[in-house]
This record gives sequence, C-alpha cells and structure tokens, in this order.
Amino acid sequence: MIIKINKNKFDKFFKILKGNYDVFAPIGDGMNSKFSRVKSIKEINLDISNTDKSPKEIFFPQTEILFNFESQKINLNAEKNKSFAVWGMRPCDAKSLTLIDKIFGSAKQKPNDENFEDPYWKSKYDDALIFSIGCNTPASTCFCNWFESGPFEKIGSDIFVVNTDEYYLMEAVSEKGKVFLKKVTDFEKGIKKDEEKITELKKRAESYLKKSVDLKALDNVIEEIWGNPVWDELSNKCINCGACTFICPTCHCFDIQDEGKEKAGKRIRLWDSCMFPDFTGEASGHNPRLLSKDRFRQRFMHKFKYFPDNNDDYLCTGCGRCIYVCPVNVDIREVVEKIVKCES
Amino acid sequence: MVKELQKKVRELFEDKKVDMVVGWGKGSVPMSATPLFIKSIDEVDDLIFDETCQNNLAVYFTKDKRKLSKDGKKVGVIVKGCDDRSLVLYSIEKQIKRDDIVIIGVPCDGVIDKNKILRKTNNREVIEYNCDEKKVKVKGRDFELTLDKKDVLSDSCLTCSYPDAQVYDEFIGKARKKVDCKDEFKKVDDFEKLSLDERWNAITEEYSKCIRCYACRNVCPSCYCTKCFVDTNKPQWIGKSPEITDSIIFHLIRNLHVAGRCVECGACARACPVGIDLLLLNKKITKEINQRFDYTAGLDIDEKPVMTTYCENEKQDFIMG
Amino acid sequence: MKDWQPKILAILCNWCSYAGADLAGVSRLQYPPNIRVVRIPCSGRVDPLFIMKAFQTGYDGVLVSGCHPGDCHYLSGNYFARRKFAVLKPLMEFIGVEPDRLQFSWVSAGEGERFSKVVTKVTDDIKKIGPIKKMVKGD
Repeated sequence: MIIKINKNKFDKFFKILKGNYDVFAPIGDGMNSKFSRVKSIKEINLDISNTDKSPKEIFFPQTEILFNFESQKINLNAEKNKSFAVWGMRPCDAKSLTLIDKIFGSAKQKPNDENFEDPYWKSKYDDALIFSIGCNTPASTCFCNWFESGPFEKIGSDIFVVNTDEYYLMEAVSEKGKVFLKKVTDFEKGIKKDEEKITELKKRAESYLKKSVDLKALDNVIEEIWGNPVWDELSNKCINCGACTFICPTCHCFDIQDEGKEKAGKRIRLWDSCMFPDFTGEASGHNPRLLSKDRFRQRFMHKFKYFPDNNDDYLCTGCGRCIYVCPVNVDIREVVEKIVKCES
Repeated sequence: MVKELQKKVRELFEDKKVDMVVGWGKGSVPMSATPLFIKSIDEVDDLIFDETCQNNLAVYFTKDKRKLSKDGKKVGVIVKGCDDRSLVLYSIEKQIKRDDIVIIGVPCDGVIDKNKILRKTNNREVIEYNCDEKKVKVKGRDFELTLDKKDVLSDSCLTCSYPDAQVYDEFIGKARKKVDCKDEFKKVDDFEKLSLDERWNAITEEYSKCIRCYACRNVCPSCYCTKCFVDTNKPQWIGKSPEITDSIIFHLIRNLHVAGRCVECGACARACPVGIDLLLLNKKITKEINQRFDYTAGLDIDEKPVMTTYCENEKQDFIMG
Repeated sequence: MKDWQPKILAILCNWCSYAGADLAGVSRLQYPPNIRVVRIPCSGRVDPLFIMKAFQTGYDGVLVSGCHPGDCHYLSGNYFARRKFAVLKPLMEFIGVEPDRLQFSWVSAGEGERFSKVVTKVTDDIKKIGPIKKMVKGD
C-alpha cells in the first residue's frame, strides 16, 4: 500500500515524525553537506544527490565516548536516546548500513553468535526508522548497479519514498515501517497511476547508469591477484590520505584511545583508516603494511575479497563518494576494471 | 600547447634523456585530471595540460613515493610555476638530485577549484565541462551555466606571482618571470581587521569542519616527514579525534612546519573534502616572512630556507624589551 | 573569580634564563609565584607544539626565555628560536589568541633582577586578560 503525501502538506507529516523520533536529514549545500538533526523542514535539502559526508556518522560517529572514568569509577556511556529517524537517505547509504550491521550487530545475521555485538551501534541502529528515497537522477559517479542493486533499491530501508513532482509516495518495507505508517492516517492512498509513475521513474533512473562490470570475473581473479605487479601501477598515484575511507558509507575501522587529565578521563572510539601507516604499525616498530601500495591494496581487498569471504556481500554500495573526493582521482571503478582485466 | 608538450616528451624519450615522465592525464570525472606516470613512448598521447591539472606533482618525489627517482633513473616531470618551486625546495633540502630530474615547464594560467564550481551549481552534478580563456561552461542534467573563469580559479592562483617555472630544463613556449599580483595579501589584511574574538570564532568555525583525513598533509609537497607529529604515540602530542583544539593545533603546527617552505600551490585547500579555507593561515605566514625576511620559498636553488638561517641584527620587536 | 590566579608556563633555557631565575632566588628577589618552570637546554629547543600544548591543557600564559642574542651556549640556538617566534607570535594573534598570553624575553645568568621584573610583568599582563578560554580542550 502506498501513502501519498502532497509536498505542501509535508510539514504535517514531519510533525508526526518529529513527535515520535529524533529526526536526521540531509542539510547544507555546496560544500560540507551531511546528515544532521533537523528541527524544521526548511533545513532539509533533498536536492543533494549524495551528501559529502555519509550518514554512517549518525550511527557510528567519528568520535564516540565508550565510557568515562574517574579514579576507580567507570561510568558507561549508555544513555538511551529517543529513537532516530533518518529522512531522505539514498538507497546506497541505507544498504551500506546493513553491511556495517553485519559487523557491529552480527547477532541478527548469526543468531547464535553474540560475541560481536556492539552495544553502541545497536542502541542507535536497531530502533532507527530509515526513510530511503529513490534516486531519480543518479550522478555519473554512481555505480550501485554493479552490486545487484539500483537507484530504487529497498534493502536497509524501513519506508521507501519516491519523490515525484508533487508527492512523496511512501511504501512500508519493514515491520517497523508498517507500524509507523499506520500512525499516519489522514493522508491520501496511492492508486494504480502512482505505481505506474514509480515504475517509470525507476526505469528512467536506471537508464542513467553505465553498464555494470562483471563482478563474477572479479571473484575469479581476486584469489590470485595479491602478489600481482598491477598493484604497483594502480597505487602509484595514491597519496594515502584517509579522505576516501572517512567519507565512505561502509568503511568502519576504528581506533580506541584514552584521553584525560590527572584522575579523570574517557575512553573514546574514533574512525581510523587503513590508508594511514599507523593503522598497522606494531609496538616493535615493524609495520606489515609499510608501503603505500600495501595499504592501497588492503582497501580494495577488504572491500572485494575479505569482507565478501566472511559476509557474502561486497563492502561497497557504489555511492561514488570516493571517486569525487579523491585529490588524485583514484577511481574505484577503474581499479576494479583493471583488476578484472588482469591475468592472474 | 598539449601537442607541443607531447612532442617534447616524445623527443625526450627518443633521445633517452628520461626513463619516465610524471605528468597529468584526463580524469575519470568532469573537471578533473589525474597524475600520470609515463614509462614508454606509446603512453605519451594520454598526456594533457589544462586548467584541471591541479595536483602538485612534486609530491611524488618524497614520502612513500621516494622510489620514483631512485637507481639513477632520469625522471621527467611536468610543472606549473608552483610545482617547480617545490622541486627547487626539494633540491635545496636534498630530497632530490637536481641532475636526476628533467623539469619540463608548462605555461599556467591558473587551475580551477571544482568546489567553487559546485558552489555555483548548488551542488548539482556537472556532466559536461568546457573552458576557454575567459569563460567556463558547465552542463548538468537539467541546467547550463556560464561562469567567469576567474570566479572559479583556485584561491592560490588568484594571488600567484610566479605562474611559470623559474628553474627548468625545457619549457613549452616562453616562461614568464614574476608577474605583478595586486592584493596578494588582501584576504589576510581583511582578516586582521577583525577583533580577536571575531577571528577566533571564524577560525573555530572553519576548522571544526576538519575530519582529520590528512588529505591536506598528504598532498602537500612541503610536508614529507617520515613520521608526522600527529602519528607519533610516544609521546602522543595531540588527540586523534576531530576535537576542535586538537584540529587547530594540527593545522597550526603543520603551517609552522611549512613556514618559509610553503610554495602556495593551494593543493591542500583543493584536496580538502570538507572545503576548509586552509590557505589563509599559510598566507599569513608567507606575509610575515615576506615582510620580515624578504624571502619567497622555492625560487633560488642556492638560497637557504628562511627558517634554517639567521641574521644577527634582525628586528626583534616581538621580544620583551 | 576574585581569587583567580593565573597559571603560567615558563620555558627557560638552561644556560641563561634558568640561571637567572636561580640568581633571583638566591638574591631573595620577590616575583609572583604564578610560574611553573620547565628547563630546556636551549631556547632553540622550543617546539611551538610545547606552547600550544600548554594552552590546550589550560595554562593561562606562556613565557619563553633564553640567552641574549650573541650569548647562546650553542652559538646560534637563540637566533633560530627568534625566527620561529617571529612567525609564531603573529600567527597566534592572527587566530585570535590574546597576544600577551605568549611572551618571549632574553634573560642572562647575571640578570636576576631582570628575571623577577619579567615574571612580574608577564603575570600582570595575564591577570589583566583573565583566565584562558580559547585553545583549551574541554572534558
């Protein structure tokens, strides 16, 4: 069932949403757009195709206090917030959260394995209501179609929204979504014409995407590719900054640090990047990934080999942020294409 | 011009004067170029030079990339004025042997800052991009815009006095000496007119955007310590999270480490994924150094960098009497 | 607020200013007890990072003092230090830190009285500005 919200009545819908949830939405224009808490619909900017910073930071902030300590006392940082709702997330970003969830909230996938549950992630992600919005005009850097996904992908979404000229057409995807949409009563219901509109928009959006690379071919070569000289060539221009990993919606590696004064302090978790030499630096001084090439290779091997080995999915959703942000134009698509062409 | 450049590079390969050439190739997205490492004559056709070639290629001769000019290999490198100053700096600081490197200068009229263009298009994606001498034309899925080129040039280019290489082996065309640049320090002067608190607020607002990805440091040709002070953990000087004072200290110390060595190529500002105006502090330092010591980095291959030398009787008005 | 006393980090070179402070002490010269002294081999050893770190951890002011130009134990250490300060001082002011919070002086081993005067002046200056708020890392 589709619920149809006229854009000039969106304020009313937003009030209902805000009454139940702490609402996040894309804000900012030009530079530094990101997902942030919003108070009114005026702040929201849905014209941004992909925010500069990915919405992973809502659930997995760059710095997160794990606990505070004072002398012998430890205060766990376990405040329970109002549940989050995220309005206007792109399908690729919604999907990326399900990938991180495979790591931090693994109990959902592996019911008997509770060892790897991350309470900080779970407390935010599990109750969150995610509205993902179909991309009517994917950018030229988008390549979500590589991953059996697309601009109207519903994975990871609780309520899927289609943005037409006049309306937001909403459809519940998950149980949580259904429960919420039941609360939204006095809006129009969608008719057959709306469903046709959705199919039309979807078709048009998909036509903007370039042809996908055959990732099966990648799987065949990647086993053998590790020692291949192709990495030298590919990594030559990489300067090993962490921009790509920090704006990536799926990168989730972190570091843990203690910060404090004499007797009190806090233990924090912060994003780390496999691009930094420190990431693998050992206490002895030895660094197994000393060279730029080693670190460069790790980033792609993690996304296309190690993560899929463990979790049956690529650690990339094709959002294209890293392509745009890279100061030296390392293009993840080109890297994959070159690896595929490589004879092992 | 690109044809001439390709011809020159081809000649260098034919005369066995170079084993490799570092230049720019076409980027994979509009408004971008990408560093290109040409190892044989067949690859020369990929070489380009235009206003999108914003990277400072000198960076590939230090850090992890040091291997490029090893083993007595001759490496050619294509340079704008600022890139050339970086190579001169490297030569002074003994990071490269001048004789191992063939510097090929190209005439530069400034490079574009694609973030400035995106600000003009309201962050709508640019699919087609064209540029002539004065105008930049961009096209997206549902818009078309014509912009003045000077409005989208990188900040560093707007205040550039040395657009062309001063020290080179080959030059495509005729290299200009110093060009007059009015208002080189206008932005700094304007900022100085603000009150202390206004300045502090502006700085904290700007630097609170920092995500500590270190793109600025890694693209910076002058920043090549084997171990950066933010990466040391014994002692750990500053916190690694993007806390505002930690971020400001990182940037200030970085600025001070490149004081008198910064060639103002602006690569840091263009690389910043969150668009911090990183050049302001560098420019302030350059201003102080210009006025106090009458020194400009990376021009004279025989002159010592300003911070590694001294004069006994220089002004010391900042020291208590 | 009335009882507030500034905390000032004094970074003193071993050969001149530290000895100057010593002389002030043995000569029983009075100066405000607000300084905490760190002895370093030479003013040329001062990394701007030390100074910023002091502000970050809550020092209200920093005084760096070394040998007079020409008197450096290592011949030229203070000349290099002077160039560093020439850039550092305007830069700190540029970002909005009150200029008097960061001061430099030359004090020789024989200038015990000068040392006490310098410390008195720095303390008075910083008392006028008040506690540091900028550059301080929160909890």
